[in-house]
Amino acid sequence: MNDTVKPVLAVRDLSVARGDHTELDKLSFSLNGGETLLLLGDDRSGADALLRVLGGFTRRGDDVSGTIRAGTGDEMPAARRTNLGIRAVYLPGPAAAPLNPHASVLSQLERVVARRHGSPRASAREELRIALERLPGAPSLEALGQKPGALDAIALTWALLAAALAQAPELLIADHAFAGLSPTTIKAVVAALTAEQARSGFALLYSARGLQTAANIRGRVIVLRHGRVIEEGDFDKLARGQAHAYTRTLFKALPRPGDALPARSMRGEPLLQVHGLDARAPGGKAMRQRDRLSFELRRGASLALIGEEGSGRRTLVRALIGLERFTEGRVVLDQVDMSILSAAMTARLRRRIAFVTGQDDALDPRMTLWDTVDEPLRAHLGLSRELVSGHRETALKRVGLASHNGKTPVALLSPFDKRRLQVARAIVSAPFLAVIDEPLRGLDAFSQSIMKELLDDLRKQEGPAFLIVTADVGVAQALAEDAFFFKAGKVVERGPLREILKNPKDEETRRLIEAALGETLL
Amino acid sequence: MTMTATAPRPAASLETVLRTAGWVGLGLIAVAVSLSDFLTSVPADATNIGPLLAAPSESFRFGTDVLGRDMLSETLHGLGVTVRAALPATLIALATGALAGFVAARLPRPLALALRGIIGILSAVPALLLAILIIGLTSRGWASIAAGLAAAPFAFVRAFEQAETQERARHSEYARAAGISAMTLLRRDLVYEFTDTVLSSAARALAAVTIILSTVSFLGFAAEPPHRDLGLMIAASKGAFLQAWWTAAFPAVALMLLILFARLAAGLNEGERA
Repeated sequence: MNDTVKPVLAVRDLSVARGDHTELDKLSFSLNGGETLLLLGDDRSGADALLRVLGGFTRRGDDVSGTIRAGTGDEMPAARRTNLGIRAVYLPGPAAAPLNPHASVLSQLERVVARRHGSPRASAREELRIALERLPGAPSLEALGQKPGALDAIALTWALLAAALAQAPELLIADHAFAGLSPTTIKAVVAALTAEQARSGFALLYSARGLQTAANIRGRVIVLRHGRVIEEGDFDKLARGQAHAYTRTLFKALPRPGDALPARSMRGEPLLQVHGLDARAPGGKAMRQRDRLSFELRRGASLALIGEEGSGRRTLVRALIGLERFTEGRVVLDQVDMSILSAAMTARLRRRIAFVTGQDDALDPRMTLWDTVDEPLRAHLGLSRELVSGHRETALKRVGLASHNGKTPVALLSPFDKRRLQVARAIVSAPFLAVIDEPLRGLDAFSQSIMKELLDDLRKQEGPAFLIVTADVGVAQALAEDAFFFKAGKVVERGPLREILKNPKDEETRRLIEAALGETLL
Repeated sequence: MTMTATAPRPAASLETVLRTAGWVGLGLIAVAVSLSDFLTSVPADATNIGPLLAAPSESFRFGTDVLGRDMLSETLHGLGVTVRAALPATLIALATGALAGFVAARLPRPLALALRGIIGILSAVPALLLAILIIGLTSRGWASIAAGLAAAPFAFVRAFEQAETQERARHSEYARAAGISAMTLLRRDLVYEFTDTVLSSAARALAAVTIILSTVSFLGFAAEPPHRDLGLMIAASKGAFLQAWWTAAFPAVALMLLILFARLAAGLNEGERA
């Protein structure tokens, strides 16, 4: 390290404990201006504790020791710090719901910027406008005049980033701020962020759970587990070879080009036959003849529906499983023409469709863990108590939830546990079709690896056909042989995923592939 | 920008204390009522036990009324009559209120909305008038049932709205998409929502029906001598109340305590009406 450059932030022997539990164990690092440091790890890595200390919102019961030195200031005990003395800005992600849902985004962010600079609201607004204009792809200032609920995660991410940059940070602390976004969005946001970093030279500390963002940001990495540093180094070097088994599992979540599943043989009877389907969005205009869809999904096959949010993937799925009426075309599911069935009959048919989604409110939060798994067995099959508990036991063992207390309400489970519970529920319902909707969204890299394995196992053992809805080609690549690429309600490219990955023809396809597995991720 | 800390609310523990106090109070009242024959010196409605309108003293701690009845014994007996009438009324209010509300919300849409509309209109009628109407159409013996039915619409609407919120939630959407029937969704409501709240619903209903029953009795439409309840006792004290405060005060305090404890046990939901 150059002795003349004083680091923006130097942390020495920082420990955080809560009761007997050590969250962070003697962490030391330093960060120079313009430098980027990535913290990788899962929910219990201790990165949260570090961010709490740096952000100045330690919780009651946090036992903090060690020292922090910021900017040109003196080394001070971490436990008693109130102000770092540099402009440190905390950047949360939209998933943390940092904004008040009852006031407009603009007014809230404006106030944050105004407080930081001690300036009037009007000038803070201009700062915010300038910051937004510097970010290519960000919404306009006027678009932020709505309440947080009216904006999507992408717009909120841009807004929060702009507000952070408008505070002219010397140190930007990002708390998995871009988790849960689609690869194309992450790519755009990270590109904008790094451009701003190069321009104004702030230090960036990014705590990441998934690898998608990390792979875009790159730079120096610290891998944390149970509060300890287990590996350290440059991202590219770590991506090529990992010393620690834990790091290896983490990096398994990183999609690699060329990992695509081989095409399956065309044998097997069709589960789903679609002829000339006009799967338009409700209230949309009729599709042209050549845009209408015809295809077949065989039993046990796996088809990925890839596209951005709002590109018509879910509308298609809803039409396929009889949740949405369609005007033109024919859908035959399990040898039954869906258009002639009554609503009650389609509901009966859907008992053998399972869902695994990235939406954490897909399970009833009131229900207990056991009851969630039992319900399909009890409601659909009327099995005896012993049989139900036998099936439940097997399913929970397979997803690794068997040791949890069965009386725990779903609301108290972690996102990863909820996700696994959805798989367990899918296992017991013996599905012929599984709708897998962004299964890895918001999970840390370790959980992502396990989730992929669980889904793979579900497919091997229960043998349902997979319909995968995702914006992430990496997810599709791990789970599907065939793919449809969507843009604005239409399929722009279709075929075996392996072939498409090698030689994408459409511009949108290329963009989606590039964002998820682009050469930068090699 | 800082994270909003999610500190546990201190109000939660205060509520627990109040609730516990409410249940303890109701328990004491239950003991007093079940032992009323031992605790009192004279049977119910026994007249000329002492001098007329005697003030509270060593021998008559609550005084005597205009017919020389011992107010202490009378108040305890009256409390017993009130509680015994209120219990079946509470059960009826629960069954036709909270329970029916959850069930109705899971009926086929048009039927559910029609029911919700009708009960909604009923809940706009003052419960007291509704109770009087039902007693008028039947007989005095129906007072408990009438009070239960009159107190039900509010509980019905509340349960219906609760189930509606769940119905609109994403997890219900996913459940229906996986072929889970309305009956199974109803089971979720009953197992997780109804049983969780049944005790506080019951306490809330108890408070409501007690008010209705006592008022109806006060107006002379329910209890009859010799089975005087607290409402009727207060009504009977009308002539002497200005000279002998104890004739009305003690039954009123007993009634107040019963309702207060029930409200505390229900968690002091403000804005609740009978």
